[in-house]
Amino acid sequence: MISADKLRRLPIATRMLASALVLTVLILPAAGALLSWNFREAVNTAFNERLESLLNVVIAGVSYDVRQDTLVTNRQLGDSRFDRVFSGWYWQVRDEGERVLTSRSLWDQRLAISHEPGMAFRTIIGPRDKQLRLLERDIRLPNLDEVLHVQVAASLDEVEAQVARFQTLLWLSLATLGGLLIVLTGLQIRWGLAPLRRIEQSLKAVEQGRQPAIETNLPRELARLADAINTVLDRDQRLMERGRTAAGNLAHALKTPVAVLGTLVERLPQEQQQAMAAELKRLDEAVRHHLARASAAGPVALGAEQELIVVLKPVVEGVRRLAGRRGLEFHSELNSGLRVRIDAQDLQEIVGNLLENAINWAKSFINLTGTVEGGWLVLSVSDDGPGMSPETRQQALSRGGKLDEAKSGSGLGLSIVTELVELHGGELRLDDSPEGGLRAEVILPLAQLRSGG
Amino acid sequence: MKILLVEDDQPLAQGLAASLEDAGLLVEIAGDGRTADFLITTERYDAVILDLGLPDGNGAQWLSGWREQGIELPVLILTARERWSDKAAGFSAGADDYVTKPFETAEILFRLRALVRRAHGHAHPVIRIGDISLDTHSAQVTRAGMPVSLTAQEFRLLSHLVHAAPRVVSRAELTEHVYDGDTEPDSNVIDVQVSRLRRKLGSRSIETLRGRGYRMVSDNTAS
Repeated sequence: MISADKLRRLPIATRMLASALVLTVLILPAAGALLSWNFREAVNTAFNERLESLLNVVIAGVSYDVRQDTLVTNRQLGDSRFDRVFSGWYWQVRDEGERVLTSRSLWDQRLAISHEPGMAFRTIIGPRDKQLRLLERDIRLPNLDEVLHVQVAASLDEVEAQVARFQTLLWLSLATLGGLLIVLTGLQIRWGLAPLRRIEQSLKAVEQGRQPAIETNLPRELARLADAINTVLDRDQRLMERGRTAAGNLAHALKTPVAVLGTLVERLPQEQQQAMAAELKRLDEAVRHHLARASAAGPVALGAEQELIVVLKPVVEGVRRLAGRRGLEFHSELNSGLRVRIDAQDLQEIVGNLLENAINWAKSFINLTGTVEGGWLVLSVSDDGPGMSPETRQQALSRGGKLDEAKSGSGLGLSIVTELVELHGGELRLDDSPEGGLRAEVILPLAQLRSGG
Repeated sequence: MKILLVEDDQPLAQGLAASLEDAGLLVEIAGDGRTADFLITTERYDAVILDLGLPDGNGAQWLSGWREQGIELPVLILTARERWSDKAAGFSAGADDYVTKPFETAEILFRLRALVRRAHGHAHPVIRIGDISLDTHSAQVTRAGMPVSLTAQEFRLLSHLVHAAPRVVSRAELTEHVYDGDTEPDSNVIDVQVSRLRRKLGSRSIETLRGRGYRMVSDNTAS
């Protein structure tokens, strides 16, 4: 049984096809049955009328030969079947006694007499057990006192054969018609639902970032729907932008006063400095943490698909310059042609923070690699700095981990990366790099990504 | 070392300038991009600290303008904007390093000194000339391993000569980089300070080239 819920979610094309199928399956056979019945009636009537006219011919032809005391006929019925023995077509004229005249086809057999008054059709079993339709009429002839029973009988085979032929033809035509109807309905559904399919494909394209908005070149009723969706998408995008900007502005507004307080605190005597500096640091960390969260787009953003190299180019170039100024070597190895659909800012933030962390600790070089392994995008950043102990790694991955009191600007980096990566359904792993420093590896699901090119 | 601090927030600019001056740097403040643009094209600085959020346009735009004019001054970006998209904009405009707000003065000093040192082509934080070595991180000067105590003015003078070595530094250049723009020194002051440095570091450590200026030389080879 299909549940009601499943029925509600049945595709439109299936619904239309099913209803068309039901109509075809119910109406065509009913029409067939009706036609067939009517045809049989018509054939029967025609058959009966023929029997009647044959009977009249027989009656008109029969006469009584007084001299020989026999019944004679002077008419031929013009149908050779009456002359062929047991052909199924018979006539017979008979009185109550021994006088009898039959068609040659009846040979030595006789047809039973009903004695019922008037003219009546009967169905009897005739010679060779054939079903016959029989018409009988009683007449009187001049010169003969006795009543004559005149009978014409014919096999029903002919009727059945005609009906069977008609039915074969009928059902064949109806089946053809049904098939055609279903095919045409299918075509009609295709054509009728084409705009819906277009809107669906358009939506998919938007989701995959191949198109900024849904196509609106659609029938009137769908164009409005598409417009509404576009409005929502647009507003969503604007709201997100506004949220990011607002978060950025708020942070900006807070940071300058905090920086001022910082410079003032530095001028205080040592003992007063510590407590205030700690509070300022807490304030700063809270701002940074929530800013990073608020400005992350997350996986729900309908971003455009971009090349990884292009997305990371500004960060890689910035870090290259920075590394150069700090006397570090920077190797970047990103596969070209690798396309991603993660929000560009989020991805820049993830990689930027990892690289920044590496730069702050590295002795002579940092490495960045980006590859695809199985269903995952793997971004790996390693350095030849002091590395991390397992406990410190644990701490670094926890929220707001404060590892790096000595070097500002990097304390929150890893925890921000952790949050962003988790937001996108990925993972951050820390282990030792072959060069002895730290290797940070971010894996992000490729479900959001597609490798192209 | 003479620094231009471009920061529109007055309290922050003054607080930071005071901290940097405590560390022996000369600091001039520009409150907006236009003033900074004027100062950079007319005065000589060793480095610029540039805030990105200026009242008259984004700091990155001013910076790329300077870079287009061929001004290769080391620029340290000071920004509250922490997102990498903002930082990347700073770097592509030609920034050399950055520090995010809020900051510790020590870090700004560290980054500035490293930038200036590298701009003069010194990769190592300790610059040695003969038996004199100058640690650019800690601002310590030693002669034959013994610490030498210098006044802020003397340190600036020596630091500039050491960074520039073996180039000859003109008196005009020294005036621009070592002395406050408001208190223009008469030529005497430089002579007096150079001779004081010679007393502390050895008579042959600083060479006077008449009509051209001064130059740091390795004392050992000169003798």
